[in-house]
Amino acid sequence: MYTADIRKPLVLGGKTYTDVTNDICRPIENKPTNSWWLGFSIAVLLLLVLAGTLAWTVWEGIGTWNVNKSVMWGWDITNFVFWVGIGHAGTLISAVLLLFRQKWRMSINRSAEAMTIFAVFCAAIFPLFHMGRVWLGFWPLPLPNAFGSLWVNFNSPLLWDVFAISTYLSVSLVFWYLGLIPDIATIRDRATTKARKFWYGFFAMGWNGSAKAWGRYEVVALILAGISTPLVLSVHTIVSMDFATSVIPGWHTTIFPPYFVAGAIFSGFGMVLTLLLIARHVMNYENYITSEHLEAMTKVILLTGSIVGVAYITEFVIAAYSGYEYEQYAFANRMFGPYAWAYWTMMFCNLMAPQVFWSKWARTTPWFIFVISIVVNIGMWFERFVIIVTSLHRDFLPSSWVMYHATWVEVGIFLGTFGLFFTCFFLFAKFLPVINMAEVKTIIKDKE
Amino acid sequence: MVDKSILLDNKKFTVGTFTDSDKLLHAVETLRKKEVKIFDCYTPFPVHHLDHALGYTRTNLTIGAFLCGMLGTLSGFTLAYSMNVVDWPMIIGGKPQDINVFTSFIPVIFELTILFTAFGMVIMFFARNRMIHGIKEDLLDRRQTDDHLLLAIDNSEEQSLSNDEIQSILINEGAVKVKGNVESFNTSLTTEEDLEIVIGNNEGAAVIN
Repeated sequence: MYTADIRKPLVLGGKTYTDVTNDICRPIENKPTNSWWLGFSIAVLLLLVLAGTLAWTVWEGIGTWNVNKSVMWGWDITNFVFWVGIGHAGTLISAVLLLFRQKWRMSINRSAEAMTIFAVFCAAIFPLFHMGRVWLGFWPLPLPNAFGSLWVNFNSPLLWDVFAISTYLSVSLVFWYLGLIPDIATIRDRATTKARKFWYGFFAMGWNGSAKAWGRYEVVALILAGISTPLVLSVHTIVSMDFATSVIPGWHTTIFPPYFVAGAIFSGFGMVLTLLLIARHVMNYENYITSEHLEAMTKVILLTGSIVGVAYITEFVIAAYSGYEYEQYAFANRMFGPYAWAYWTMMFCNLMAPQVFWSKWARTTPWFIFVISIVVNIGMWFERFVIIVTSLHRDFLPSSWVMYHATWVEVGIFLGTFGLFFTCFFLFAKFLPVINMAEVKTIIKDKE
Repeated sequence: MVDKSILLDNKKFTVGTFTDSDKLLHAVETLRKKEVKIFDCYTPFPVHHLDHALGYTRTNLTIGAFLCGMLGTLSGFTLAYSMNVVDWPMIIGGKPQDINVFTSFIPVIFELTILFTAFGMVIMFFARNRMIHGIKEDLLDRRQTDDHLLLAIDNSEEQSLSNDEIQSILINEGAVKVKGNVESFNTSLTTEEDLEIVIGNNEGAAVIN
């Protein structure tokens, strides 16, 4: 195949196939490092916070949260949309970039997909516990109803969400596992302990890399990518419909689906960069996750950040133009009301901060990208907070206007989900190859 | 654990070991031109055009996937329609609950289509490759999932050329190692010395040009 000489190689350091195997299997086959233990301990500590605050919520009741009349969705749904959004980058990298034949995706897709799955775990916690009686969490499923004569309501976007999120989680898991099988087989064939041989052998499902199997594998991966692409768009579209199909000023806008999807990809890439910059530094993967990769991802951030910025402005212009005073007030209240600080934080973090990536220096300087990726994460959390809280806290009836502040339980649950997320990620980094060995071996000779 | 029986029928193979995917591909093309029947190739990563070179036709999994997807579409529609229209129509905002509300069933129908396609296809993929949890793998080389690309020829099959001729072709095509009588094994049979070879040294490692 012809590749232009101006392209830089995708894998640096003149690696051989064996080097790739050795480099990527090293963290799995060796004892965990001190930095791994440190990070893992902090994550588990936060996970305990999650367990504690959730237990308290269940024990004492949903009244431990400040969600109430007027603001019936607070931090919980903010966090739900935040985590679901983060998940989207994983599917975008593994599915959309596969369809576009972007080879740079190959060394980052594994960890991005893992991130997707863990983020959806975190997201699912919020609506489930927000229902109040978590032990009745199976009620949204279309089960024959023994408690009355009702079935679930298929007209409701909340039910669409149940289907969308559960499909998204299961399809992402399947896609991820399918990609892992050849790599698990590699670890199986190098295993030096009985336990490792048994477990990796169990999950490798007898993979031996036959050309017939690879042929089918590639077709299956392509079709999965093809169906995951509309899936990922549908998931955040449906999440946005939770808002857009309501009659709340500030929510019922038709721009929501594309705006939410762009925002989801934006926030997801923010989180991918945060994770990968740590992983490549701690695990010495600079030759696999090169500055070319970082640059490509920052370009996606720049693009999606700008789309989100245009959406913010469009939303405002449409509200002003609508001639509908409640809609106009909702937006004026966002900008200049009691939550103006949140609105301007969002505007700064999402619209202005990513514009630094027009500069080549900013796109290729890891520590700087890391800082901006954190800024993006914060900004996208505030976006959901602004949409939810500012639209609810002042409704049509001024007598029911309230201010909303989270309680320590709500804050604890949110921090706790980071514990869950990072605990899962640290375990993943210890037991599974963070980079897709089989795919990286195909591009070792290639250029971008 | 169950044995996987694709290779384990006490077959003997002539195996050429390559360390370069282009050379493997060329060797396959050369052998096929001379009408040598190749059993299969085993590679640690997908080699482009290898399945075409081996003369494999495109898998029918896509048709299966399409059928599963159709089943999903039908299930989604049946689910929503039977519950919300036939069994218990919910009147919301005074709107009629009949076939006209079909549009609000579309998200669920769509999600179930995707779900059925993905799971149906992957289950068919596993079935077609005889992959299941706990099955024992059958390998011809400890490093076939690391850096060795294998070309396997079944010795019991009748060939247009003699085994020696095939072996010399393999060597000419750049195989780093050719063995005449290889039986498949699984890693649980591996001894300590084998592990030395796999993990310990880099001898025989592939070199990228």
